Amino acid sequence: MTQDVEMKDHQTPSHSVSSSVPSTLQHLKEIASVIETGSYAKEIRRIMRAIRLTMGLRRKLTASVLSAFLNFALVPGSDVHARLSGFVPKEGEHDMEVDTATSVTQTPAKHVLPELEIYCYLLVLLFLIDQKKYNEAKDCSSASIARVKSLNRRTLDVLASRLYFYYSYSYELTGDLAEIRGNLLALHRIATLRHDELGQETLLNLLLRNYLHYNLYDQAEKLRSKAPRFEAHSNQQFCRYLFYLGKIRTIQLEYTDAKESLLQAARKAPVAAQGFRILCNKWAILVRLLLGEIPERTTFMQKGMEKALRPYFELTNAVRIGDLELFRAVAEKFAGTFSADRTNNLIVRLRHNVIRTGLRNISISYSRISLVDVAKKLRLDSANPVADAESIVAKAIRDGAIDATLDHANGWVVSKETGDIYSTTEPQLAFNSRIAFCLNMHNEAVRALRFPPNTHKEKEGAEKRRERQQQEQELAQHIAEEDDDDF
Amino acid sequence: MLTGFRSLPPLFEETPNSVHELTLARDIFEHAVLLSVKIEDQDAFERDFFQLKPYYTDARNRLPESPNEYMILGLNLLRLLVQNRIAEFHTELELLTSTALENPCIKHAVELEQSFMEGAYNRVLSAKQNVPNETYGYFMDLLAKTVRDEIAGCSEKAYDYLSINDARQMLLFTSDQELLEYSKEEHPEWEVKDGSVFFQKAKDSAPCKEIPSLQLINQTLSYARELERIV
Repeated sequence: MTQDVEMKDHQTPSHSVSSSVPSTLQHLKEIASVIETGSYAKEIRRIMRAIRLTMGLRRKLTASVLSAFLNFALVPGSDVHARLSGFVPKEGEHDMEVDTATSVTQTPAKHVLPELEIYCYLLVLLFLIDQKKYNEAKDCSSASIARVKSLNRRTLDVLASRLYFYYSYSYELTGDLAEIRGNLLALHRIATLRHDELGQETLLNLLLRNYLHYNLYDQAEKLRSKAPRFEAHSNQQFCRYLFYLGKIRTIQLEYTDAKESLLQAARKAPVAAQGFRILCNKWAILVRLLLGEIPERTTFMQKGMEKALRPYFELTNAVRIGDLELFRAVAEKFAGTFSADRTNNLIVRLRHNVIRTGLRNISISYSRISLVDVAKKLRLDSANPVADAESIVAKAIRDGAIDATLDHANGWVVSKETGDIYSTTEPQLAFNSRIAFCLNMHNEAVRALRFPPNTHKEKEGAEKRRERQQQEQELAQHIAEEDDDDF
Repeated sequence: MLTGFRSLPPLFEETPNSVHELTLARDIFEHAVLLSVKIEDQDAFERDFFQLKPYYTDARNRLPESPNEYMILGLNLLRLLVQNRIAEFHTELELLTSTALENPCIKHAVELEQSFMEGAYNRVLSAKQNVPNETYGYFMDLLAKTVRDEIAGCSEKAYDYLSINDARQMLLFTSDQELLEYSKEEHPEWEVKDGSVFFQKAKDSAPCKEIPSLQLINQTLSYARELERIV
């Protein structure tokens, strides 16, 4: 969709502004009519479509188009109109006059729908953010939120949830995210009371983002675990939720769950959301490393991500080899990147895994090795490396990382023979988990199938249909009568 | 008396004396935290610390920095470590800035956690000698106890036997008598004979060779059911 529109644009550069302006305006008018029909027919789907169309036009919004559209959609001279026009800088006067002349004649006749009004807010907000006028965007969004709060219409939910998003976004851009936390909580409460599930979803994510922005993992987790959950309405919001959830769980050391949600978030995210997917991958890589897994090479070679994931690739390498020296060097070399990603603390945690891997390598290659050599190989630099090595090995044995025994009197580690893995239930378990995954995938796919409405009904003849409809009508009447009886 | 001040959290009203009041309240809570350490009351410590926390986070911009802030934050980290609440430990850690992490009090706690995770218990114990503040002593003693339990748990898995002498050193007892009492109380399965401690009994959990038939039947049946649904 977006591409189509842009291509048209490139083909007609010679026609200059005059031709493209009306066309954008024309598009906007079409969208407005979509919204209108949507709100009259109470079809949320239409409004969603309108928003999708708008995002396609987003880059072509100009001040003149916008004010022309405002004149078209809102009653000139009304409160809202005045307020919104105030945000739009005046430029390209003559263009506007032409349009207003035509549109003003239409407007007084019709009553402005709340949906349309909110849509105008959204458009102006988008425009302001794109123009990097963040302070105006803040004002505009606050005004719009105040208006949305006073309205209670189900058809507004979709528009409102977008507004919430940009509201938070504009505050984030100016760095005042903490200011709106109370307001967001209030909005979330309102959305919950109104059963506005999309709004709840969006607001919950915004709140989580808000908390995580300030590293308030404790509060975020408390809110998340108490907020009502339901089937996700929007894929994007669900992805975000999974990502935040993964982050919280990583911090709280629940790596297995964290890995699951981070990988799912990365997989579900749309291809266009490159930045988001890179971020998900970064966290997922770290979590897998912390779990003692080594991510496959392909993870780092994904298209468009090689460069961003490079530091993490080298880090993985260091962990894989189990070389503390190399690990330290990598951590230092990319310290800037890691602190920008705010993964520094996680990397500090990884040190322990590096030692573990090193130990495992040693235990595999030697059947017996003295603790002095272990300390040397791990490059433990402390006052008493042998004693350190001994207790480290002891802990590794207890945690099941290596299978060995210590001999204190002689000061060596004796590795046990690695048993034949096929004599255990291990392969069976691995097989089971894979089969379960495949079956689950199939079931999910079946459940996600969508059938065009009424295909099976068309097969029945006209005769039969009439018969059935009659029956249904009778039934409905019957029920209605029963209802009356109840009163 | 503090309840009369309207500038305190959660109201944060701008009053002419607000800075003064906030500082006063913060000082009171800081003393409360330190007092709870002195009387060795961990619950009171937790309570007081949570009351103090907003002064460090939400009131950060209104107040001059407290000289005790990092010391108390470090104490709290240590407390979480002693109580083995590692998840909360890391949650708290995320709240700290990089400058805070450089502070000796915080760094001390962070390094302790690392050594603790790695299993370098000697380092944990030697850290006791160079505590950044004397109030840390109480928690360090507690930590020593935790460490002893950890070492005991590790040793019984890692060694077949230890001479009493070595075991005593490793578990940081001063006399054999203490060791014997400890093993009787905490680990009755340890066997002491011929001047050595044997850990054999603790390893009795040999892998059972039984075929998990019921589980296998269940799995196979569920495959059959799912396949039927597909076909």
